[in-house]
Parts: sequence; C-alpha cells; structure tokens
Amino acid sequence: MIKKDHKNDTDSLLEVVIKDYRAYPEMGIKRCLQCGLCTSNCPAARHSDYDPREMVKMVRDNNPEIMDNPDIWNCFYCYTCGSNCPANNSPCIVNQILRQKILLKGEKNTRIYKFLTYGYSYMDFGVGSIPSDFFDALVADFGQMYVELKINLEDIRHDLGLEDYNLKGKALNEVKSILKSSGFTNRLKKFKECHES
Amino acid sequence: MKKIPYENILLFKSCLVNVEYPGVESSTRYIFDKLGVEYRVDPDQSCCTGLGYYYDLFDQLSTTALAVRNFYLARRSGHENITTLCSTCYAIMKKTIKLLNSNENARQEVNDILKKAGLSHMQYQAGDLSSENNIFHVVEVFYSLKEQIAKKIKVDLSGIRIASHHACHYCKVYPEDSITPFRNPMVLDELASSCGAQVVDWYDFKKATCGAGFSQRFANRDLSLSATSDKLLALEGETDILLHMCPNCQMQLDRYQPVLEKELGRKLNLVHLNIAQLSALAMGADPYKIAGIQTHSVPVEGLLDKIKVHTNLE
Repeated sequence: MIKKDHKNDTDSLLEVVIKDYRAYPEMGIKRCLQCGLCTSNCPAARHSDYDPREMVKMVRDNNPEIMDNPDIWNCFYCYTCGSNCPANNSPCIVNQILRQKILLKGEKNTRIYKFLTYGYSYMDFGVGSIPSDFFDALVADFGQMYVELKINLEDIRHDLGLEDYNLKGKALNEVKSILKSSGFTNRLKKFKECHES
Repeated sequence: MKKIPYENILLFKSCLVNVEYPGVESSTRYIFDKLGVEYRVDPDQSCCTGLGYYYDLFDQLSTTALAVRNFYLARRSGHENITTLCSTCYAIMKKTIKLLNSNENARQEVNDILKKAGLSHMQYQAGDLSSENNIFHVVEVFYSLKEQIAKKIKVDLSGIRIASHHACHYCKVYPEDSITPFRNPMVLDELASSCGAQVVDWYDFKKATCGAGFSQRFANRDLSLSATSDKLLALEGETDILLHMCPNCQMQLDRYQPVLEKELGRKLNLVHLNIAQLSALAMGADPYKIAGIQTHSVPVEGLLDKIKVHTNLE
C-alpha cells in the first residue's frame, strides 16, 4: 500500500507560502503547470539567471536550496508573471514571501540594512521616502539638478499651491503607536542588530 | 465598466508625487476643479507604505493597520472613494481590503494592533469597504469624464505623438479590475486621444516594467537599468511623449533617460509627462505653477514651444 510521506511537523515551504498574509485564497500554486509563461515574460529572467518557474517548482518540492539562491533577489515585483499565469498563481508573491522568510531568519541583512532609513523616516513623518542611504548614488546619476530640486522643493510646492505633506501632532502619534503595537519598530531594530552583530 | 465616482473622493497623496513630481497632484486638482469633481485632501493621511512593502521592509500587518487608519479618515469625512495618484498606492489598498474582508485572523490581528495603540474606534469590520467599489486610480476618474475633458482642450496637440506606459501595479496586480483589457491597456492612449494627440498604439515593451523594481534601482542598478533601456530604446523615434500614471515609473524613465543618453552618446528626443500634467497643460494650465515641469530631468520646454505653450518662468 502506498503511504503518503508524512514529513516532520514543521510546515513545508508550500504551506508557509499558502498561509502567508501576502498570499491570497485563490492563489493557484498547487495548480502550477510548469508551463513557463512566468519566466518567458519576466524582466529579471531576461536580464539575469532568475527563473520564476524553477523557483515555484522548488517551493512545491519543498527544496530548501531555493532559500540560498541569490537570483530570487532579482525579481522586480512587477507582477507580470501572475497576470499571465493560466493557473492564477503569482510567482511574484511567492518570491516576496520567500524573501520575508529569509530576512526574518536574520539573513541577507546587508541588503535590507540600507533600506532601514525608509522605516525610520516613516516613523518620523508618517510618509514614504527615497531611503537616504542611496541619495548620493542618485545624485551621481541624476546630477546637480537633483540636489537643487531637493533644496527648492518647499518653494516649488508652495508655487504649485500644495500644502505640507508631513504628519504632525496627533496624526503622527497615531502612526507611531500603530507601528509600535504592530511590531514594526522591533522589526527594524532586529534587522539593524542582525547587520551590526 | 465599473462605476467610477466623481464625488466623495479622498485624493490619496503619494510619497513620490510629493517629492519628485508634485505637479502631478496640482494638475490633478486643477482638472478636478475644472470638471466639478468633489474631492478632499486629508492632512492626516499617512502614506500607503508601498515602497517599504516592496523593499521587503514592511510586513503585511503593519501596512494593513496603517491603511485601516486611513480608511477611518476617509469614512469619517464621508470621502470613501479613495482615489490614488500612484499605481502602488492603488494596489496596496486593494490588497489590504481583500485581505481584511476575506481573512478573519488577519482582521482580528489588525484590530488588536489598533486596540493596543489606543485606536479601537478605527477598527475594521468585514465589508466596511470594497476593493472594487472604494479604491480607484485618478486615471479612471479622468477616463469616465473624457468627453468633458475633450471639450475643455485649448492647446492643439494634433502634431504630437504620444505613447503610453501603463504602470504594472495598475494593470497586473489586479488585472480583472483594470478598466481596459490588461493585455492591451488603452486607458492612457484613449485619454491622450481625447486631448487631441496622435496615439502610438503599440510599441515593443509597451507592457514591460519601467525597471525601477523597487529595491532593484538601488541594490541592483545595472539590472534595473537594463530593463529601463529596453523600454526607452523601443520608443526611440517612435514618439514625442511617453505618458505616465505612476510617479515611480515616471521617475525611473525620466531621471534615468539622461543617464542612458550619456552612455549612448545621443539624445532620445522623448519627454515624460503624467496624464494629469498633459491634460492640465492641454486645458491651458501654467507649466510651472500648475503642471510643475521644473522638477523633470528631461526638459519639457522644447515640447511646449512646439505646441505653443508659453514657457517664460516669471
């Protein structure tokens, strides 16, 4: 009699993906046909060795080697794969979930470390921003005009009749309280400590 | 087509519109005012966290809890038609509502977060909002009013060729909600046509990403620019304007075009405008005081001279 192979009691990669809040109830990862439409339309696959079809196969095979594959960090999060998938799977979302799992294990922290300033800035002002650690790199590409734009932004916005966009007072405190009770404040701290230790 | 609102709109501010292309917001407000669209901009609205979410920095629950606070603000002021300037804000809020309405555990966790933060009055009950009927992109409002826009055009764009870049997070995250077929997105093309311009129907890489890739622009610059080049080179000689609906895409293609031109040693003769900027300019708006073209990397003045729009900055 054929017996189903009962794995140990930790969730398989497939279960981890399906249960994640980034996934959606109808996500068809189990119905993946391995047709390759995802890979054939993927900008990262076009320009690197990233292969969303192979990634999905490895998740379904519960092959942990996918977690060490550096190419999964090349996904653009453009969702082209999912929009073309005949099985209503989303390799893009599978990728996001894998990256979350890797980061929460304390790995790849050099990469996330440089994006921490987005989180700090959000907690200070309640708005998103370009992570300040990359500002010099942008100026190197965009030139002095970009520095001038940042210097003159307030005047330009005033000329356009636009108000200040940063949150203040009660609104800002609400945002900070939410991020503290959601665990986001601690999450940033953990990412920072993983990198610095 | 789904029902598009023209009142009770919360015009949802975007972080990249704020700091890169603020003229997109002022142009949108100009058009809404001209068309009699009733909207509100809420000073207490926080950002959607989309960039952080796709930098892998924000977790789903934090993003969702912050969105629920914004939903509360929208409901409190009677402006429940949340309308975004950015495709990622649009997708993030759709995702949030779908998760909250379908997943009791997630809803409970988010409500517990709000309770712990002393904000129990903001808690979300299943069905409070609908992903289809409460979240819109500004282009959808323009699209539903395109005949009225056409009547207000004052500038002759008939000699101008326009190609479109339909943002991935509008067309591909929830393709079923896109108001024109996602495999052949035409929202921007039809709007450009209403403004009187010639439309470049299709070009290679029309549906391809801008290349920003969220973290890729910063962590993986060469990969990011390879995808951006695909798009810009496909457009060389094909169009005068690439029309946008997302500030992140606009930033990628407008700010990196000069970088690519320097590498190529030639100009691509193509400028970038958001649909709100183009429509406002065509309706007679001031290029610097409404459309905000002074924040662009690729200068827009040459194009404006061609269509006889006054460009003397006072």
